Amino acid sequence: MSEHHHEPAPVVDEVSDFEILEMAVRELAIEKGLFSAEDHRIWTEYVHTLGPTPAARLVAKAWLDPEYKKLCVTDGVEASKAVGVDWVNSPPTHFGTPSDYCNLRVLEDTPTLKHVVVCTLCSCYPRPILGQSPEWYRTPNYRRRLVRWPRQVLAEFGLQLPSDVQIRVADSNQKTRYIVMPVRPAGTDGWTEDQLAEIVTRDCLIGVAVPKPGVTSNTTRPIHKAVHPVEHGHGH
Amino acid sequence: MSTKHQHDRSHHASIATGIGDPQCFKGKAGKPKFKEGDTVRVKDMPDIFYTRCQVYPRGAVGRVTKLVYESPAAEDEAWDNTDKPEWFYSVAFKQKELWPEYSEAYPNDTLETEFSERWLEKA
Repeated sequence: MSEHHHEPAPVVDEVSDFEILEMAVRELAIEKGLFSAEDHRIWTEYVHTLGPTPAARLVAKAWLDPEYKKLCVTDGVEASKAVGVDWVNSPPTHFGTPSDYCNLRVLEDTPTLKHVVVCTLCSCYPRPILGQSPEWYRTPNYRRRLVRWPRQVLAEFGLQLPSDVQIRVADSNQKTRYIVMPVRPAGTDGWTEDQLAEIVTRDCLIGVAVPKPGVTSNTTRPIHKAVHPVEHGHGH
Repeated sequence: MSTKHQHDRSHHASIATGIGDPQCFKGKAGKPKFKEGDTVRVKDMPDIFYTRCQVYPRGAVGRVTKLVYESPAAEDEAWDNTDKPEWFYSVAFKQKELWPEYSEAYPNDTLETEFSERWLEKA
């Protein structure tokens, strides 16, 4: 390179192929009258109100109330109502959507059984009770590797499990959506529902972490620098 | 006058609104072929166009943990064919059964996923 030369930086974020595809399909669907632009706006606004708080509350309640815990395990959709989530009627469609089928299973961990959730086919996630999935949950890396090397992937999240604990991976490939009910950790005797709900993080509900007193946020995943990074230089 | 067949795109909404999906197919699949605890093998059938049966469990033997719901199979529903709902089963496999190279140190590790009835046979 003979002289220093700056190419102009883009002023907008790059739009991915998938975003272009989504816009094209959305516009076609609106033109064909499958739904209106207004329907789309209402749905988008609804989805952005969702988060993991109701699922954390469900687990905390179940830890304190054995009868409620039984209901959670046998009928997750019914149990969700106690934390303000009606799988059928909360979504603006009043029947769910293909990505939010009205079927929740609560997977109960025990001291010798640890559940962890993935969707290998796409990124099915119990959105009505857990909100939008984290970016890593949707990556081919997580989806391909969790089913085959669950212990290694969990270790990357900082969760090392002894060999006498059975790992059960739940691959949500059809109409069931899953959340994990972890074991109530030691050191939480006498805690209130509010206190307990605070330590049930999104990661605990997916199963890649276990609750710990004092830990109320998700850990950041370690980012390993590429061994052979791709150069995006200018003017070469 | 047009004789062109118009597909009813509101069909799903009309059966599922206020009831939910898969709840709207309850009672429509007839008698289930398998029960909880049965040992089953996943068939390896051709999947032209669309399927939700992963490749990795095909041919593997597992145990039915739960009859989960009734629904049209994904292969039919993708074309809006809801005429023949099937039973769906949750099946648990030993990881070693799915991945022969899975570490011997963890023989109890398992994986659970769902299949429509057409994908399973008695093992």
